[in-house]
Amino acid sequence: MTGIEAEQHVRQAPRRRLPDFGGRSEEVVSRLTIAPGQLLMLFIVAFPAAVAIYIGFTEWTPTSSDNVWGAYHYWHWFDGYWEALRSGSFWHAMWLTVWFLAVAVGVEFVLGFALALLFLKEFRGRGLVTLFFLLPMMVVPAVSGFIFFMIFQVDGPLNQGLAAILGHNVQIHWLDDPSLVMWSAITVDIWQWTPLMFLILLSGLVALPEDQLNQARILGAGFWHRFRYLMLPMLKPIILIALIIRAIEVFKVFDAPYLLTQGGPGDASTTISVWLYREVIINTRWGFASAAAIIVLIIVSFAGVFAVRPIEQAQEETLEELVGGDTEGERQRVEDAIAAEATV
Amino acid sequence: MATAPATTRVTAGSTAAVRRLPLWPLKRIGRWLAILLMAGTFGFPLYWTVTMSFKPQDEWNPPGKVFWFPDHPTVSNFTDILGIAQESSIFFSGRSRSALTPIYHSLIAAGAGTVLALLVGVFAAYGIARFRAGGRVLPFQILQLRMFPPIAIIIPLLFMWVYLDLWDTLQGLIILYGAVTFPFVVWLMRSFFQEVPREISEAAIVDGCTHWGAFFKAVLPQAKGGLAATALFVFILNWSDFLIALVMSQDHAQTAPVYLQALQSGSSGQEYGKQAALAMILIMPPAIFGLAIQRYLVRGLTFGAIKR
Repeated sequence: MTGIEAEQHVRQAPRRRLPDFGGRSEEVVSRLTIAPGQLLMLFIVAFPAAVAIYIGFTEWTPTSSDNVWGAYHYWHWFDGYWEALRSGSFWHAMWLTVWFLAVAVGVEFVLGFALALLFLKEFRGRGLVTLFFLLPMMVVPAVSGFIFFMIFQVDGPLNQGLAAILGHNVQIHWLDDPSLVMWSAITVDIWQWTPLMFLILLSGLVALPEDQLNQARILGAGFWHRFRYLMLPMLKPIILIALIIRAIEVFKVFDAPYLLTQGGPGDASTTISVWLYREVIINTRWGFASAAAIIVLIIVSFAGVFAVRPIEQAQEETLEELVGGDTEGERQRVEDAIAAEATV
Repeated sequence: MATAPATTRVTAGSTAAVRRLPLWPLKRIGRWLAILLMAGTFGFPLYWTVTMSFKPQDEWNPPGKVFWFPDHPTVSNFTDILGIAQESSIFFSGRSRSALTPIYHSLIAAGAGTVLALLVGVFAAYGIARFRAGGRVLPFQILQLRMFPPIAIIIPLLFMWVYLDLWDTLQGLIILYGAVTFPFVVWLMRSFFQEVPREISEAAIVDGCTHWGAFFKAVLPQAKGGLAATALFVFILNWSDFLIALVMSQDHAQTAPVYLQALQSGSSGQEYGKQAALAMILIMPPAIFGLAIQRYLVRGLTFGAIKR
């Protein structure tokens, strides 16, 4: 056996450590474990996706005289796609979604970070107050939509509170004014999800190496410099994950704008999900909506390639730490131990 | 970057002298004020809902006036919405039922959906964590499932469900909930299984267990805390769903969030008090479960990427 072959043998060894102990080979067991999940995905994703692509090439609607299978009578190739791509309302909805995403995630990040910094130092009742900030996250989105629906009424507590502070009557139409309604919907998201940002960033801040931060303080670095040159770079992976997770969720936003105003007034708060909902349920243009949905899915998939990587990496890192056995570090440690024994 | 340390020392030197002693109580008070302000802002919506659920009708939303606290507290909102007592208003006249049936639907759909997601997801998670089943692509695909807006894949599902007689049934909702939360189970349980040392299953196999035996008798007991946390977490997600139930059910399987929304837009005059009472009931299970698994919440919502 040459050296290279031996090396390869060592590299492969841990993977096939248990060839047939259980009566079934690992390969079969491994396939069986994921089979039900793959079936479910096939049933719920693959088949519907095929149907959606088929319908997307037609003008079929549920009110047409043919059923789904006869949809080819309404075949019109890419006309639905072109219509969506040229439609002002589609791009308006996309723009609103991106705007919603940028503002909501941005504000949540800043507020969450500020809160996390406030909670970094130990103080009496910290655990309890942290629990309190967890509560909005637990509220069912339909309920949080309803809560803010109450608050944003013209005679509601927000205007009344403002009136009490300013000393004169306040009649701001939070939900009826097209220029304000998006901000109202964004407020719901910020209220509900800033706590998540806060928790993620707090867990990151707590895990920072205190020695380094203390050293920097002793050497005379002010808070801003410690924040800018130590905390931010060290927190970068966690910040990235927090932003990505929120961005993924906010892009799908439906509940807040729909529950406040059904996407209105007019189309002032139709995010892309609300827009699709309107096309599917209210206008019942299923062929056109399928085409538009596929465009959205393609855009999301492209974004997803970049979004998933950091999450995967974070999981892989812990995997290397925890699994042991067939990782580089473990083998190194074993080799060190052998070498140490040899010298004795 | 290169000039940073020098400027640091200069500014820090000048501020350190100023900051020495007399300022620290101010800083502490400032921090408390900031925390109280944030807590007040974030707490107010909940406060408003809690008090609203105990207010009688004339205190709900009177024009030009606001009741920061219920003057004449009552539980009639709760008894009405749950159909316990005689209705105190004409509220239910146009409706055949109270919120009990939708709450029951929600419980069944969310509970059974959770069981389905666990049944399918736990095995897949074990396969991926232990055998790297599906290679690198499968976990990626599963995660990407979460990124699609549900409404974008719901059109074909809609007529599939109608065709299979699953539309507006609890079974239909259960399958969808199971499928939608399945990625969370895979990624969460994967991270829990990775924390179970490989040697445990190997030892079980050496002792004569099959692969399945090793999984059920040796590995799963080690991860049962994680399993419980995953189950509660997924239940919260299913319980919170609004969009899927809105599109996929009408009457026979209407869930509580959809019922709440129907009250909101359906009734001519707003029934804030009763809606707030239902909202309180809806908040309860996730709040209790969420506090029970708060250690794992961040892990769940970040797909196991952040462990705390």
